Amino acid sequence: MKRLLHLANLAFKQVTRHRIRTLLTIAGVATGIFLFTAVETMQSSLRIATEVSAGDTTLVVYRENRFCPLTSRLPEHYLGEIRRIEGVREAIPIQIVVNNCGASLDVIAFRGVPPEDLEKYSPDLEMLSGSYADWTARGDAALIGENFAARRGLKPGDQFEAVGVRVSVAGIIRSSQAQDNNVAYVHLSFLQQASRLGLGTVTQFNVRVDSSDQLESVAERIDTVFASDTDPTDTKPEKAFFAKTARDLIDIIRFTRWIGFGAVLAVLGLVANALLLIARGRVKENAILQTLGFPRFSVGVLMVWEGILLGFLGGLSGSVIAALFFHLNRFTFGNEGLTLALTPSIEVTLTGLFLAIALGLLASIWPAWVACRNPIVSSLRQG
Amino acid sequence: MTDSLKDNSYIRCRKLSKVYQKGKITVTPLENLDLDVRRGEFLALMGPSGSGKTTLLNLIAGIDRPTSGNLDIGGEDIASFSRGKLTNWRARHCGYIFQLYHLVPILTAYENVELPLLLDSQLSRRDRREKVLAALELVSLSDRADHRPTELSGGQEQRVAIARAIVADPGLIVADEPTGDLDRESGDQILELLRELSGTHEKTIVMVTHDARAADAAERTLHLDKGRLVEKSFSPASIESAPTS
Repeated sequence: MKRLLHLANLAFKQVTRHRIRTLLTIAGVATGIFLFTAVETMQSSLRIATEVSAGDTTLVVYRENRFCPLTSRLPEHYLGEIRRIEGVREAIPIQIVVNNCGASLDVIAFRGVPPEDLEKYSPDLEMLSGSYADWTARGDAALIGENFAARRGLKPGDQFEAVGVRVSVAGIIRSSQAQDNNVAYVHLSFLQQASRLGLGTVTQFNVRVDSSDQLESVAERIDTVFASDTDPTDTKPEKAFFAKTARDLIDIIRFTRWIGFGAVLAVLGLVANALLLIARGRVKENAILQTLGFPRFSVGVLMVWEGILLGFLGGLSGSVIAALFFHLNRFTFGNEGLTLALTPSIEVTLTGLFLAIALGLLASIWPAWVACRNPIVSSLRQG
Repeated sequence: MTDSLKDNSYIRCRKLSKVYQKGKITVTPLENLDLDVRRGEFLALMGPSGSGKTTLLNLIAGIDRPTSGNLDIGGEDIASFSRGKLTNWRARHCGYIFQLYHLVPILTAYENVELPLLLDSQLSRRDRREKVLAALELVSLSDRADHRPTELSGGQEQRVAIARAIVADPGLIVADEPTGDLDRESGDQILELLRELSGTHEKTIVMVTHDARAADAAERTLHLDKGRLVEKSFSPASIESAPTS
């Protein structure tokens, strides 16, 4: 064990004292791991947004055969009937207005809701700045999700205009529901008038049920109630709704997995090549170590440590830079009024780091074999 | 060779041969060589290029293995050792001094000297430090401990290499033309150091050299030609006229 640590220390000196070579290798590894982490951040955000889990209790009631908020129109009076359906804990009518119905990286989504119902429907909304009272008191006020606010640089008191709707920021909110962090909540009546859709019409109803195992049954009951109405409904769990409406976007994001895979292979090749060159350039040095009494195995382990260190340093740089990149830019994919925030997570960052270490280890195996199999006498004659 | 010398042998070679293939040609750098070296003796090996002196040195240092014959060093038949056992033996019993010093360029003088001690897991950091500083003190380079090889002169590099060879306190030191790349003054310092190691510290030293002046520093000089000992002498003066290449 002590010898392994001595070899690690020796490898550390080799890595840190060949600065240019190390920096170039680390830059390559960091680039590959940045790409991998970026792709994994998208994949992970997509999983969070689309995979229904035990904690999900939200249903979206949409107009049947409509896939865009511009075309989904439901009578607001459905609310009373929905609230009476067994298993429904809370329901809220929502008018959605977006600047872009297709896929976009900077979507602006207004959600019009009755101000008196929002706190009851979403009790976990945390007010980061501004006040709830200001929002309820002023008709054109907006509560902005923290991601949206960060992306646009908005703070309470600011005004902004999008899609012909001008609002005043009353507060910045944070929610455990990812969607809430990417939208601007405004008064329902204000949005209905500002968007010229008229009073009494909403895009959808969001419905909370008591537990996730009731999602399917309640959805079926809602659709049955309105099946013979003039505006039949199509009710789905919120995440399944997103998965269906944003199918093209999801396909594209899933495709990026191949980019991540390519980045991993590139890192593997880069580290292996760098270490192989190191092994070939250090034939005599390794022979000297063996002459001093270092076993062949130790010479190989030294090379493996170097691979691990290069992987660790490159992986740390790449994954941390990727996390900072996504944290600072707050990218949000929008599609059909729903948003997918690309949120960095500690799990993805650690995955990138550990993958880089594993790649460093894997890439060092062949160079380590090359380094330790050379006969001492002929190696000493080299150069 | 006297009986007393035979009885007190630290290194004893019997019918030692080394044969290897170079393409289709069979090369025999050493053939049935018999040799005895006393404990604490300073022996010089001379001979023309290709005479087998470096091959013999490598066999004695345990970095090469004989094709046949016995090679007994300090009571152990190292010719019969496995590769792993031979590696351990080298770490404990043999220090090697190269002609071109062969220090690890990215390490300081201190770190280079410390290298052999890293193999001994019983040693604490403090123990290692004491031994390294003592070795550097012995070669008068305590003030250069933090210097890298590129910041040292050739003579200083060779003295660091000597400190590295002795730091683990081996009984045997082998030196392959240790003054071959040095100016006369530095070479003399190195030879004086080797003489001190042999005389005061009772290290057995086997040195290969082309330089008759360097051989003068040894107690005994042997001459090799075509893999055989052709001349044995206790008097350095007697080999000064021997052919060298």
